[in-house]
Amino acid sequence: MISLQGVTYSYPGTSSPALRDLSLEIPRGQFCAVIGPNGAGKTTLAYILAGFIPHFYHGSLQGEVNVEGKNAATMPQRELLRLVGLILQNPFNQISGTKVTVQDEIAFGLENLGIPREEMVARVAAAMELVGVSELAERSPLGLSGGQMQRVAIASVLVMQPAILVLDEPTSQLDPVGSREVFQAVREMASSGQMTVIMIEHKVEWVAAFADRAIALVDGALLADGEPRHVLAIDTVWRAGVGQTRYTLAARRLQELGKWQDGKRLPVTLDEATLTFKAFQKRR
Amino acid sequence: MAEVFGLYKQRASFIHGLHPLTKLAVSGFFLLAGLSLPGMWSTYLLVIFGLLPLAFLSRLLLELVSRTGRIVLPFMISVFLIQGILWSGGTPLIEVGPISFKQEGVQFAIASSGRILIVVGSFLWFALTTRPDQLMLALAERGLPSSLSYLIVSSIQIVPRFQARANTILDAQRSRGLEIAGSIFQRARAVLPLVAPLILSSLIDVEERALAIEVRGFNYPGPKTSYREIAQAAWEPMLQRFLLLAMAGTLILSIVLRLVS
Amino acid sequence: MIVEKAPAKLLPIEIEVDSISFTYPSGIQALEDITIHVSSGERVALIGQNGAGKTTLVKHLNGLLKPVSGSVKVGSWDTHDHSVAQMATRVGYVFQNPDDQLFQRTVWDEMMFGPRNLRWSAERAASSVQASLEMVGLEHIKEMHPYDLTFSSRKLLALASVLAMDTQVVIIDEPTTGQDYRGVQQIGSILSELNKQGKTIIGVTHDIDFCAEQFERSILMAGGRVVLDGSTRQVLSQISVIDQAYVEAPQLMRLAEKLGWDFMPLTVEEFIHHLDG
Ligand SMILES: Nc1ncnc2c1ncn2[C@@H]1O[C@H](COP(=O)(O)OP(=O)(O)OP(=O)(O)O)[C@@H](O)[C@H]1O
Ligand SMILES: Nc1ncnc2c1ncn2[C@@H]1O[C@H](COP(=O)(O)OP(=O)(O)O)[C@@H](O)[C@H]1O
Ligand SMILES: [Mg+2]
Ligand SMILES: [Mg+2]
Repeated sequence: MISLQGVTYSYPGTSSPALRDLSLEIPRGQFCAVIGPNGAGKTTLAYILAGFIPHFYHGSLQGEVNVEGKNAATMPQRELLRLVGLILQNPFNQISGTKVTVQDEIAFGLENLGIPREEMVARVAAAMELVGVSELAERSPLGLSGGQMQRVAIASVLVMQPAILVLDEPTSQLDPVGSREVFQAVREMASSGQMTVIMIEHKVEWVAAFADRAIALVDGALLADGEPRHVLAIDTVWRAGVGQTRYTLAARRLQELGKWQDGKRLPVTLDEATLTFKAFQKRR
Repeated sequence: MAEVFGLYKQRASFIHGLHPLTKLAVSGFFLLAGLSLPGMWSTYLLVIFGLLPLAFLSRLLLELVSRTGRIVLPFMISVFLIQGILWSGGTPLIEVGPISFKQEGVQFAIASSGRILIVVGSFLWFALTTRPDQLMLALAERGLPSSLSYLIVSSIQIVPRFQARANTILDAQRSRGLEIAGSIFQRARAVLPLVAPLILSSLIDVEERALAIEVRGFNYPGPKTSYREIAQAAWEPMLQRFLLLAMAGTLILSIVLRLVS
Repeated sequence: MIVEKAPAKLLPIEIEVDSISFTYPSGIQALEDITIHVSSGERVALIGQNGAGKTTLVKHLNGLLKPVSGSVKVGSWDTHDHSVAQMATRVGYVFQNPDDQLFQRTVWDEMMFGPRNLRWSAERAASSVQASLEMVGLEHIKEMHPYDLTFSSRKLLALASVLAMDTQVVIIDEPTTGQDYRGVQQIGSILSELNKQGKTIIGVTHDIDFCAEQFERSILMAGGRVVLDGSTRQVLSQISVIDQAYVEAPQLMRLAEKLGWDFMPLTVEEFIHHLDG
């Protein structure tokens, strides 16, 4: 359970806040997607949840952040660390720099937590399997392709099994099937009640297909919050520069051409689009 | 990003499988013996009968010879030339024009070259055969604070990391039309624009890495465990202790010899 | 977004990749017997799973990597005989990771680096740099430090710094990563603009919808080899083949299939046109 109450934050030396009066509650086991244009404050929200703000970045933070019922600002960082795992946005800078092979790299976090070796071995193997890097186990983490590096970064945090997992654009370098698989895996982890997931993403088709909820941030403020299919069809969300599926865009085009039934909901997913456009074809 | 990791070179040799501290003790012994034993040729004996066979067993003979050579040869040559020009007095051995190589000078040059050779050679042998992460682990097991061992290991790696980073920047610069091969003048021009970005980007790299390491509990209090077991044969601790004794012995011996002579 | 460049001076340049193979020093074979031909002015996408060898392949086109066997020719220049700096006058390459590409202290210096090496006159360099910055919408932050920009802006800066060199061939490795919807649209229109000027565009991308909308030809790679090479429509329609290469058909094609169409639309316009007759 995560709760934000009236959170406003400005980075040091900046005048306009990166987050404005944000209030949110995310119940345990929910898969919550965060969408919004660049600069909307998504990464800032992730930093707040992981405690980087205010522990690492100072600046001015107002409001209250509670994680599992405890105040994140006053909770010792080590406690927060066990609770929240964060996969950072830039996959190229997440390699620890002290490990020779991919599997050692993934084990790094577990070593730091003092997990016994046998357990570590099993967890590392499972994490590698999950993100599809088992064949790279003995490779150097520095000689990987962009997508392979991002997979290793994901596994390195997943393996720590945090109660709350925050992923900042985790599929930006992944191939299409790999992206969908990450969404699927995260979906399963949330469903099995193991994890609360907050995932920042631009790939709205998979947000609509897999997430329980979507939060649209624009200019640091909450613009819409609700079921992804609903949020992704809202006009103001579209006008604020949040991505849309091609299905929604096609319907919007028909709307522009004056060929859309007034009041009919815009399709967001493939299934919705199939139904909608089949009906459209029949009508003609 | 280049695929470098310290100087370490993976090979299928039993030396690679030895405990890092065993290898540390061996190279420490060479180092100490090379620096303290008297006589012009003692270091060369150590190299020929100690270091080279070990490098051969590590399947890194050529690698070690070429790397050591690149560092040591320029030094050796300049020592010989400089003593030839500057050594005053003594028995002339060979005369080439105005330069006269004196016997004492040559002896000095041989002895000091030998020292450099053993110091560089044994360090490189150690770095080539020992995984930095394993060294870190071994040091931590001996009770060294993890931040200190991280410092040691990351400084061992700073050179190759800089190299890798420099190559990346060079690639970026060449891709935007900076000519790099060519005259010395052109090459010097290419190095200059590299320095500032290199230092800067390494600093930034360190800062971003700090966040990434932090998320993964680097500063988490309490005991750490290790993913890898460092194998250690039953005889290795004995060898390590023996080498420590041998180091002490060599030190005493060299002091005694010096006092006697 | 008006670009003041004279398209007339561009020479047509063909790219010939002739059965090249490449193995990294660590022993990983990344390319195996690749042959492709790209004509002047084409817009080609390279697609395929992570680790397929796309980045490795495009690094051969400006000579950053040299094939172990086979040859790469850009116009009459073989990359074996020309330095990367020489190749850079013909081929601009935008790196996958912008941090691998940016190294100057201000946005302006970063932009000027290429044109300076080309020994253009100060006015020509400045006007090209200004136009390229405007093209990506970063003209208001000339004095900023590249490292202080967000990832998406660094990516745009990396693109602009290559555009400023006005090369006949432009290669972009993963142009849309980290971009929001508007950013993706903007990059799309930059590519169209460049193509209108007669430039050859080679883009590496995982964004298949973007690929469908922006590239007329697609090359599908898997395991270091070329699996399919043809018109984007033709390549992306072979659903079972691209599935095996961890690529998916674009959204509108999947929809068309569900609707039972034979026609495979690439863009929303095409989709609407077919739907609405
Ligand atoms: N510097 C390197 N050293 C060693 N191997 C490398 C290096 N860079 C890439 N490789 C390997 O070469 C193969 C091809 O990598 P490449 O970067 O070309 O893939 P890619 O198709 O661009 O993938 P992605 O979509 O993930 O960027 C992969 O197996 C990768 O691990
Ligand atoms: N370290 C920082 N210092 C100052 N301002 C920052 C910093 N990081 C982000 N910002 C600013 O905060 C705002 C929100 O950024 P961010 O959270 O990164 O957005 P998003 O992740 O949605 O793209 C932007 O205006 C950005 O420029
Ligand atoms: Mg962000
Ligand atoms: Mg790549």
